[in-house]
Amino acid sequence: MGHYKAVIGLEMHCELKSNSKIFSSARNTYNETPNDNVAPVDMAFPGTLPVVNKKCVRDALMMSMVLNCKQPEYMYFDRKNYYYPDLPKGYQITQMESPVGVDGEITIECNGKKKKVYIHDIHLEEDAASLDHYFDTSCIDYNRAGVPLLELVTEPCLSSAEEAVAFLEHMRSAYKYCDVSEADTKKGQIRCDVNVSIMDEDATEFGTRVEIKNINSFGNVYDAINYEIKRQSELKDQGRYGEVEQETRRFDEESGTTIRMRSKVDAIDYKYFVDPNLPKFKIEDSWLKEIRESIPLLALERKEKYINDFGLSEYDAGVIVKEKEYAEYFEECLNLGMDAKTASNWLTTQILGEINHLDVALKDFYLTPNLLQQITNEVNKGTISSKQAKEIFYKSVEEQKEPKTYISSDMAQISDQSELEKIIETILSDNSAQVEQYKSGKTNLFDYFVGQVMKNTRGKANPVVTKEILKKKLEK
Amino acid sequence: MTKFSKELVDDLAKKLLIGLSSEENQMVLDEFAIIDENLSKVDDFENIKDVSPMTHALDDFVFSLREDKASDSVPIEDLLKNCDQIEGREVEVPKVVGGEN
Amino acid sequence: MDKTILELHELLKNKKISSQELVAESLKKSHEIQEKYNAFVTILDDAKGTDKIDHLLSGIPFGIKDNYSMKNVLSTGSSNTLKDYVPFYTATALQKLLDVGAIPVNKTVLDEFGMGGTGTTGHTGIVKNPWDPTRMTAGSSAGSACAVASGVYPYALGSDTGDSIRKPAAYCGIVGYKPTYGMISRYGLFPFASSLDHCGVLTRSVCDAAIVVDAMKGIDEHDMTSWDSKDIHLYENITKSVEGKKLCYIKELCNIEMYDNPTEELQNHLKNFKEKIELCKSLGMKVDEVSIDPKLLNALPSVYVAISCAEATSNMSNLTGIIFGPRGEGDKYEEIMMDHRTKGFSPLIKRRFVIGSYILQKENQERYFKNAQRVRRLLVDAWKELYRTYDAVILPVGTGVAKHLDGSKDILTKDTAALEEHLQIGNFGGFPSITIPDGFIDGLPVALNITGNCFEDEKVLQIAYALESKMDYKNQIAKEVK
Repeated sequence: MGHYKAVIGLEMHCELKSNSKIFSSARNTYNETPNDNVAPVDMAFPGTLPVVNKKCVRDALMMSMVLNCKQPEYMYFDRKNYYYPDLPKGYQITQMESPVGVDGEITIECNGKKKKVYIHDIHLEEDAASLDHYFDTSCIDYNRAGVPLLELVTEPCLSSAEEAVAFLEHMRSAYKYCDVSEADTKKGQIRCDVNVSIMDEDATEFGTRVEIKNINSFGNVYDAINYEIKRQSELKDQGRYGEVEQETRRFDEESGTTIRMRSKVDAIDYKYFVDPNLPKFKIEDSWLKEIRESIPLLALERKEKYINDFGLSEYDAGVIVKEKEYAEYFEECLNLGMDAKTASNWLTTQILGEINHLDVALKDFYLTPNLLQQITNEVNKGTISSKQAKEIFYKSVEEQKEPKTYISSDMAQISDQSELEKIIETILSDNSAQVEQYKSGKTNLFDYFVGQVMKNTRGKANPVVTKEILKKKLEK
Repeated sequence: MTKFSKELVDDLAKKLLIGLSSEENQMVLDEFAIIDENLSKVDDFENIKDVSPMTHALDDFVFSLREDKASDSVPIEDLLKNCDQIEGREVEVPKVVGGEN
Repeated sequence: MDKTILELHELLKNKKISSQELVAESLKKSHEIQEKYNAFVTILDDAKGTDKIDHLLSGIPFGIKDNYSMKNVLSTGSSNTLKDYVPFYTATALQKLLDVGAIPVNKTVLDEFGMGGTGTTGHTGIVKNPWDPTRMTAGSSAGSACAVASGVYPYALGSDTGDSIRKPAAYCGIVGYKPTYGMISRYGLFPFASSLDHCGVLTRSVCDAAIVVDAMKGIDEHDMTSWDSKDIHLYENITKSVEGKKLCYIKELCNIEMYDNPTEELQNHLKNFKEKIELCKSLGMKVDEVSIDPKLLNALPSVYVAISCAEATSNMSNLTGIIFGPRGEGDKYEEIMMDHRTKGFSPLIKRRFVIGSYILQKENQERYFKNAQRVRRLLVDAWKELYRTYDAVILPVGTGVAKHLDGSKDILTKDTAALEEHLQIGNFGGFPSITIPDGFIDGLPVALNITGNCFEDEKVLQIAYALESKMDYKNQIAKEVK
């Protein structure tokens, strides 16, 4: 197979989080009961009108800023006209002429390398109803009709499936950090369209662009892109590149291939025009400023901060910022006054291991930062050993009881200097022969004395303090 | 410029999911000839391209966006009472295959 | 039922008559008028009066154009696509009237979804003019105009996208008023062209129009294009003096020399109009003749067709028979929708859709749709320029009296097109606009129109009220002259 350069562009649709839908006051929540989140306009009853949800506009503007896009002076909506059973009005309200953001760019990391991704635009629109298919009928559930969607469109600036998925992961994380979406692909909250073309390494003109529509997981995006690059490359190798058509395909999960839906010639003319029911809305600078100021630090920014300000390793910082809830847990620990490295260690090893093991979300994990602190405080005081700390951790999680329940005076270490000194003096005088041997150079006997102290105290002697005293006494 | 033809009229009508009789088709052609002639004169207006298209009746609407408050769904009986074909709580249509989205 | 709202209110308050008696009389009259002129889609025979008289409109019957959504009452838009549609919600403007105790007695015929100006395209048949049943009422608020003129009740709701209130009012010898765009909520009004659609009212006097719109107006959280008009009190301010107010009329439309071979009817109509201009002057108003570029005026009808057809084709894409309306036949969803739409829409509407769809196509949009929107702005700017000097523009409505039904096709001769269609300016700019009867030609009513700047509804009604008081056509009931 010849080696060609792939040119990839993405469209990413993401459902926004809100109490009500974008153009109606029906609830925007997942609902198992069909047609139970429906306002009159969601089913396009004659005479009903759309009314724009302020939060959706705000969140869309925030993402526009995150993508470093230009925001419009006036915001308004367009109608995209086509007939389909899931589209009750016969048009979708979207943004064509004046989207919430245009001409953006954002830096992502892919395989440890920074990559700039250019954004054509980001726009706000409504979702369609959902269809349930049966043997020879389909049933329409309008719960999803009017759910707010944010669609971002990149320039064709990505060059591999890895980069495409890295970008999608980056954006998914940004949506979550900004708290505008749950961004859960499992719930179908993110859907992607991908366009792929190939060209010779030294070519300056783009090849024929093939669009793959409606891919519902990042894994499938990855597979679809690679399949499409392979398909197009093979045709090119065989001198049959002319058979690559400008067309729309879909990804078939079962076979891992893409399948033709329609050619460009059959493309629908959507007859976009400005929706007269939604007045042009002036976006005040003061509002933009307020939104800008409320953008939280995103993953990459936090990662750098964790490395530079808190001295975490690149790896640990990377693990923590991967999910917003990890970073929030970590930062809450810091706010409680916990040492950064201690918090990081607990989080990246015990806690993530345990939530993974228990298959729970971190927000539902029993041991909150406050409870974790009960353990770390005792370790710091030297009351318990790190081994004991771990035992307490697991016990607490298992029995869902506060760690302090398990930190009894009984299990407390003997850290008291004078008490330990007394014990050690007795041991040393009882073992005078070994002391002589040690002093004459048999230094590996040190561990023997430590062992005697532990035996004597039934393991409760603080090992650090014990070692210090022993050293002092034996060096005398 | 696509000129109006019988085929074009039929194609447009089909995309609008409307069937036209041949008389109706001819009427569209006649009517459009007049409109085409009138609208083509608009091109003669000086600097017409510099005018921003008027999309709303008022340019100076004062309004606020809706606060994000949810209200209860319309009861299912109301939603479906005008629908001629329902299945359970849903609107039923013949099986939809392929197509948009 | 031939009385004014104020008179009826006095009678009700003083218990000289009961609301139930008014309703009974109105229903009886409805059936008579239905028999003669076919004005109604539905007569609400079970309508009940009320004893609670706490508003000028309480207990008084009224009619509703059938493109207003009304809970649990058949609401068809005069279209077969909605011939069995019974909404579960009531239009805001209508609800406001119900809330003050007004009593709806019927739903009136319109040109299908308001598209058309003849009163002949409703799915229940042609509406006839009560002055001469061989003539049209004009439309689209045909049934409302016919019923108010016939004395079924003092007022009926209308809607106005081009001139759909103001034209039929003129031809039926009554008052038709559409306030500034957004003063009355459009929520629940079946849309024709959203950027041009206005709610309004048909009455027999300016004062009644003021009272009804006072009750219908107000900001509505369901309509983003509605606005807060709590500081506008139409009825309260209607008698204010108009002395010193400045009006203008447009030379190109009003002067008979502008027309080649004018008909005698047109000559009489314009002569009558000029007499009313003198009447305005006698009221202490100043009236000037102004000039507007004829090129702009002549573009008007096509601009209207382009914008209204384009918006309409999209607005009516929800009419597929899937969720409401009679389900079409077929094996595929496309066939079902197509069958519904093909059977449901009248030929006129289908043609308009095709034209609208053509205009909106990507390759045509710039040349047709956007240019039409640009000329719309030029026209509106021209009028706004006039409003810098003048309080209102006064013009004759149409070219004379109601047209004959047998020549029912709107034949537009080129040089009268602008005169026939100029009321559309009021929709382009969202201007408050009122038509009042200003005389008779051969026993048939003719009218003039007063259109002011946005939000200046009080002023427009004051001028109309003052002028109406100087003429003899207030509260007239139609009587067949032929």
